[in-house]
Amino acid sequence: MFDIMKSTFGVMRMNMIDIENVSFAYSGKVEALKNVSLCVRKGEWVTILGHNGSGKSTLAKLIVGLLKPQTGTIRVDGVELSERTVYDIRKKVGIVFQNPDNQFVGVTVRDDIAFGLENLQIPREEMVERIERYAKRVDMYSYLNKEPQALSGGQKQRVAIAGILAMRTEAIIFDEATSMLDPDGRKRILSYMRKLRDEGVTVVTITHDMREAVQSDRIVVLKDGEVLKADKSENVLKDKETLEQSNLELLLPLEVLHGLEKKKSTNEELKEFLWQLSLNG
Amino acid sequence: MAIKFERVSFQYRGVDDKGYLALADINLSIAAQGEFITLIGETGSGKSTLAQHMNALLAPTEGRVHIFGVKLTSDKKKNRKQRLNPIRQRVGLVFQFPEYQLFEETVLKDIIFGPKNFGVPHEEALERAKKMIQIVGLDESYLERSPFNLSGGEKKRVSIAGILAMEPEILILDEPTSGLDPMGRNALLKVFYDIHEKLGKTVMIITHDMDTVYEYAKRVLVLREGALVYDGEPPGLFSRKHVEDWNLELPEILRIQRALEERFGIRLEKNPTSRKELIEALGEVVM
Repeated sequence: MFDIMKSTFGVMRMNMIDIENVSFAYSGKVEALKNVSLCVRKGEWVTILGHNGSGKSTLAKLIVGLLKPQTGTIRVDGVELSERTVYDIRKKVGIVFQNPDNQFVGVTVRDDIAFGLENLQIPREEMVERIERYAKRVDMYSYLNKEPQALSGGQKQRVAIAGILAMRTEAIIFDEATSMLDPDGRKRILSYMRKLRDEGVTVVTITHDMREAVQSDRIVVLKDGEVLKADKSENVLKDKETLEQSNLELLLPLEVLHGLEKKKSTNEELKEFLWQLSLNG
Repeated sequence: MAIKFERVSFQYRGVDDKGYLALADINLSIAAQGEFITLIGETGSGKSTLAQHMNALLAPTEGRVHIFGVKLTSDKKKNRKQRLNPIRQRVGLVFQFPEYQLFEETVLKDIIFGPKNFGVPHEEALERAKKMIQIVGLDESYLERSPFNLSGGEKKRVSIAGILAMEPEILILDEPTSGLDPMGRNALLKVFYDIHEKLGKTVMIITHDMDTVYEYAKRVLVLREGALVYDGEPPGLFSRKHVEDWNLELPEILRIQRALEERFGIRLEKNPTSRKELIEALGEVVM
């Protein structure tokens, strides 16, 4: 009996997000996504890579039910996304968007982090505790009573992340969350992503920044709304041809490595060093 | 000098009257031709405030800015629109996310809006639109399209074409490549480089991307808390001392070059300033 259960439900339950044959078109335009299938396992960090207009952000909006697919199904933690389940699904999957100015809803940092918790009807005492804990986590504790106009873009983005962390969702999607930030802001957010992965939270990063992709377990490359390649990060990061087809480029250490391999270099120590250099860019 | 800053400070008036010093005692000169400059600094260091002084959108609260012979000071009576409008035509400023400012039905109408506003006859504005759309790397068929159905990179190009159609002598761009994919970014940087090389214009780019600084710029300005702390060639900026003191991110080319030197003692004769040069130079010494 147990075996039957496992074979029927087991596979599905291992996945946090299942996308099957999903297509989507904005009204009157060409399809943004064409028959896309992919999955994200629980606790996995998956990068969705692709050129501008490849359908990456559309995919993110579909997963959290901000858009509705014309065909295909989306399941989150085994539950099919529908008008009936969308609010429960948003308790499981949080999303951080690209532009920090468009997602600050509170009057102060404290209110902003509280917003999601109020929707979850968390008791007041626990709410206060969570707000403080996650504000500390993103180094914004001393800003709790500040208004958004007193914050930089990077700081607003950290507040948005604290708000999602405080909801303790099982998965977090970062939709080009670092693309508008300065180097310091970008590095901080990368460090939060790593910490989340270490804690077992499922992470999906949507980006065309290879330095973000290099940190993840698996990479899905989109091109013109279709999945071009989905594989372990190591295999995608070195795949010059696939990346260039989607307007991306190899990380420079891997470009150098590629050049060495073309010349049939046998200096394994150097090759390994270049690979390591690409991981800590 | 086309633009000259003399002891320029700028204080934003705060809500609580405390104010906020965005620029502190800046001295700076920029030529009307032949410069390719990058302006860097952390968020809030004053980069955009400095750029807005360069085409008279802001006037200093202390000191003087000279732009093509027009002097700007804190004296508000003198900063009238009539006096400043010609400056805004000669120094073109492209804001961050210029694509949000497209509003006409067609790309053509968007591009000719600026020049017509500055009194350029309709026929000539049309000619300029045809020329500029090509310079930004799009073909003439784009002119009849709606700007709203373009990709992010295409919208950016259209808005830059609109500024170029005003035929500014100096072009300033605030984070023009943020949010673009790598190839889109490279293509756009090449457009700016061509504007500089082929049209001989001075171009200044505000950026967070050290690779852009290292691979393209001839001169780099660094702002820290409103003060200009570096004005010189990019290689000198990335000395170990500056990198440490100013918490700079190293350009990838330099990071790899230094790591290979440290670990394997690999020394390159010439300092490569492009990805291609680095790979070629390493190819000669490494097997």
